Amino acid sequence: MKDTANNKDYALLSYHHIPGVHKIEIFERAGGYETMKECFKKEPEAIKEEVKASGLRGRGGAGFATGVKWGFFTKDRKAIKYLLCNADESEPGTFKDRFLVERNPHILIEGMIISAWALATQKGYIYIRGEFYQQAVILERAIKEAYAKGYLGKNILGSGFDFDLYVHRGAGAYICGEETGMISSLEGKKGQPKLKPPFPAIKGYRGLPTMVNNVESLAAIPWIMKYGAPAYKQWGTEKSPGTKLFSISGDVNKPGVIEVPLSTSLKDIIEIHCGGMRNGNKLKAVIPGGSSAPIFNAADSYLVKMDYEDVAAKGSMLGSGAIIVLDETRNMGDVLKWTLEFYHHESCGQCTPCREGTGWLESVFKRKEKGQAHISDIDLLDKTASSMRGQTICALADAAAMPTQGMIKVFREELEAYVMTPAKVMTKK
Amino acid sequence: MSTTETFEFNKDNLATYKEYLTRYDDVESALLPVLHLAQEQNGWLPDHVVSYISLLMSIPEIKIKEVISFYDMFYDVPVGRNIVQVCTNISCSMFGGREIYQGLLKHFDTGYLTPTRDGRISLQKMECLGACELAPCMRVNDDFVGNLDLTSAIQKLEELP
Amino acid sequence: MTEVLKTEKVNLKWNGIDIQAEKGSNLLKAALDNGIEVAHYCYHAGLSIAGVCRMCMVEQDGNPRAFPSCNATCGEGMVIRNDTVKIKAAVESTLQFHLLNHPLDCPVCDQAGECGLQDYYMKHGQYDSQMIDKKVHKAKVQDIGKNVMLDAERCILCSRCTRFTEEVTKTNELGILNRGDHAEITVNEDLKNDYAQNLVDICPVGALTSKDFRFKQRVWFLDEVQTTCIGCETGCSVKVSQNKNGAYRVKPVYDHDVNGHWMCDDGRVIYKHVSSPTRLQNASENINGLFVPVAELGVQAIVRGKKPKYILSTGLTLGEYAGFFNAIKGSRAEVALYTLPNLGPEFDGILRRGDKNANLRGAKTAFDLAGFDSTQAGLDKVLNSISSSDVVYVVIPEILYNEDHFNTLINKVEKAGVRIALTPGETLSSLRAFNYLLPVPSFLEKNGEILNYQGAKRTLRAGLSYGETSKDVSYYGKWVNV
Repeated sequence: MKDTANNKDYALLSYHHIPGVHKIEIFERAGGYETMKECFKKEPEAIKEEVKASGLRGRGGAGFATGVKWGFFTKDRKAIKYLLCNADESEPGTFKDRFLVERNPHILIEGMIISAWALATQKGYIYIRGEFYQQAVILERAIKEAYAKGYLGKNILGSGFDFDLYVHRGAGAYICGEETGMISSLEGKKGQPKLKPPFPAIKGYRGLPTMVNNVESLAAIPWIMKYGAPAYKQWGTEKSPGTKLFSISGDVNKPGVIEVPLSTSLKDIIEIHCGGMRNGNKLKAVIPGGSSAPIFNAADSYLVKMDYEDVAAKGSMLGSGAIIVLDETRNMGDVLKWTLEFYHHESCGQCTPCREGTGWLESVFKRKEKGQAHISDIDLLDKTASSMRGQTICALADAAAMPTQGMIKVFREELEAYVMTPAKVMTKK
Repeated sequence: MSTTETFEFNKDNLATYKEYLTRYDDVESALLPVLHLAQEQNGWLPDHVVSYISLLMSIPEIKIKEVISFYDMFYDVPVGRNIVQVCTNISCSMFGGREIYQGLLKHFDTGYLTPTRDGRISLQKMECLGACELAPCMRVNDDFVGNLDLTSAIQKLEELP
Repeated sequence: MTEVLKTEKVNLKWNGIDIQAEKGSNLLKAALDNGIEVAHYCYHAGLSIAGVCRMCMVEQDGNPRAFPSCNATCGEGMVIRNDTVKIKAAVESTLQFHLLNHPLDCPVCDQAGECGLQDYYMKHGQYDSQMIDKKVHKAKVQDIGKNVMLDAERCILCSRCTRFTEEVTKTNELGILNRGDHAEITVNEDLKNDYAQNLVDICPVGALTSKDFRFKQRVWFLDEVQTTCIGCETGCSVKVSQNKNGAYRVKPVYDHDVNGHWMCDDGRVIYKHVSSPTRLQNASENINGLFVPVAELGVQAIVRGKKPKYILSTGLTLGEYAGFFNAIKGSRAEVALYTLPNLGPEFDGILRRGDKNANLRGAKTAFDLAGFDSTQAGLDKVLNSISSSDVVYVVIPEILYNEDHFNTLINKVEKAGVRIALTPGETLSSLRAFNYLLPVPSFLEKNGEILNYQGAKRTLRAGLSYGETSKDVSYYGKWVNV
């Protein structure tokens, strides 16, 4: 994607317009893997410093600074440790990582090789959700090409450094996107998150140090290493530097993935990048960061800048950058029902507040289907959601509670009307 | 568990299994890929497949059953030749994903995962498939099909072998 | 096995109370060991940490997030609270989540009276339930083998049982299938391990109950006596639940040096002979195969003048051996020891030992001290010398794992003029080979000590008393002089 103001390519999608860039020859002709080669001439610590200086924040949803996370990793280069790429992408509304790897798998592989060199991980796995079968095939093909070029395997480019990279397919479970759930799953178990401490950087996969980074974070590394942290920081804000991929779906004319600097206004994203509202309808609400993020009404949506701080300041979270746009024809009761069904279906079942709470939220909200609804059910939902927060091993319970409470805060009257009237799902094409 | 049926990997898959083992630093980590492989060969994962894998990999049967039951894409019931996963999460439901799922169930006169009478198709209601720009979308075996309506969905599925 | 570890003690404050614990030890355990009550379901000191019930949440000074104390370790100067408004509210709502899909079938549940859900509801709950929704239904009344019944609806998925079969017995019969509130304890195959009854003990609710104990007694009608298992030479610490009607169950008591948290299934039935309907309670005479009560003085008259030969069992207390040898000191009595045959491997790797002689070491020491031969050769010598002018007293072992082996002994005493069985148990049919049966106290009716395989002293405590069972072998030893 072009940075039109500066007539320059952005970081992540800079190769996307090149036909056939999934092939290594074409990727390399466009400058791919150059940065990786340069990085092998650099000290690993220098790479870590550059990433830290760039202010890159984890793009999976939590937004924790990648360089700081890398800082927790052991510096013992001989110790057995792993690099795990989170390509599980299952937060509802998110499809940016799929978009990135299916057209340009090598940018991720290049980012992983640089990261592996910096972190001295001997093995890497790309954990990709089971539904992304074709994308896994694309990645495996690209990995094979990289092996053939000597960019993976033993003694990469004569550096004396060995790094093996494999694709590992999930099998359909949202919770495997949580980094310790992913590690459990990679270990051949149910994808249940693990107690923290210890954190994966200390004790992760097979009890050994493991660095888990999102596809988008790792794919940003080559650009950062090529142009330097200051160049990366030209975009975004001091605390939210760089560019970000946003997945936009719902009632806009052009849903899809865009790369824009962080802090781009949501209004611009909808009106300029996504071609405005579908059918010329009025905006009603936006879920700004995947289904876990509390919803914004139209007024807040038009005010918010899409960076970590501003979205948080307005009561939601940037999350994975999944923007779901809802127009005036949408019923917020339906949206909440779909959301609650999702978390009920996806709770891994180990922590009691989440296992029982996610199911109960759905039951309470659907009492009207049994003719048992009461207007006070909305308060009960609010209270139940509140008591699920901060009580569990991972954030899934919070991820179910936050949009529930957010929806109640913004659209209470509509929800009260919803539970007190017979169900009618509003859909149209 | 008495079962008269038996299962073992065919020659190619046994070779693939051995290749899988080289990717990981322990045998257990290969379980998900192995289950995908076994399901590819057998269609679904009944007890006798579990027993085979348990012996092959020295993983207790119950641990394998836990894993199968945990993931939506492993099937412990018989399924049709084609798996069709219909997304019913927010973005797809906004554009009729649920009606498409219900309409398909009705059209093919079946229920969740129950194979159609000709054994051709199993329909599965799914949460977000990660292709929201294609809403409403479904996965037909390994491929995404998007921008559906019920008619185009039926048409697509009727073409399946 | 007493380990001498140099451990550093640290000082902590828990709800303002000063406590001490080993540095780096489990924080929840430290509180429990210091007598502080902390609600918990999934934590068990004998199992790995699951951290899933979320009941033991605490706050620490300087840490904005509450965390489960079971997943924390003790450090110097930690200030911990679980009595804050925030934590109390969290525990109450988490308890409510535990009870949400629970069937509340306490009136027909054996766990009633010792149930974690009942206990904590009284302490941390007492809210008005707003649950009017359909509960998730799961499989009930499942016989999963080894005397264990599973009710998946009562289960709160604390995973203690699955961790037990994975970590302790390594048999992996149990697992948790499915996700979310459909998660359910499931058996892959019937239980096959020899420690299955521990599952009943560790289940904090009524999901796993003992088929043997089900519907027999309400727990509030039972008293507990702490004693030692006599099932093998391990000598596990146990408690026996009993009342005036008899004993009902045996459970392990934590003992760091011997059995840790567990006991084997064989030990669960060691009480069966004590309150059995056929338990010998009075001196009896064998009249054509029927045992009828007889006056003890009459038996004394019969044995008068006969040469006494005693065959003792290996299950007596140190006191009984000493008292017996003291009683026969200087007499012409001959004494030998019947040793139970080994069953199975010497040690199963957990607790169970093939040597079933609870006090073999104590017996041998006592024999040596008194100058008698405790070996098989000594027994053979006595048996081979038996003649019609002898009275033979055989102390019947409390638990006969191998009756055939014991019957060969009985066959060899048939030459004796008078044959007397001193029995702490049931009136077995094989005892028809004896002329008289005299009751002696079972392990539940006597105080004393035994030496286990380590040579460690293990205590037996009396809890019950049946009929005329208070006279032990030392009393009958005195008959040498009648």
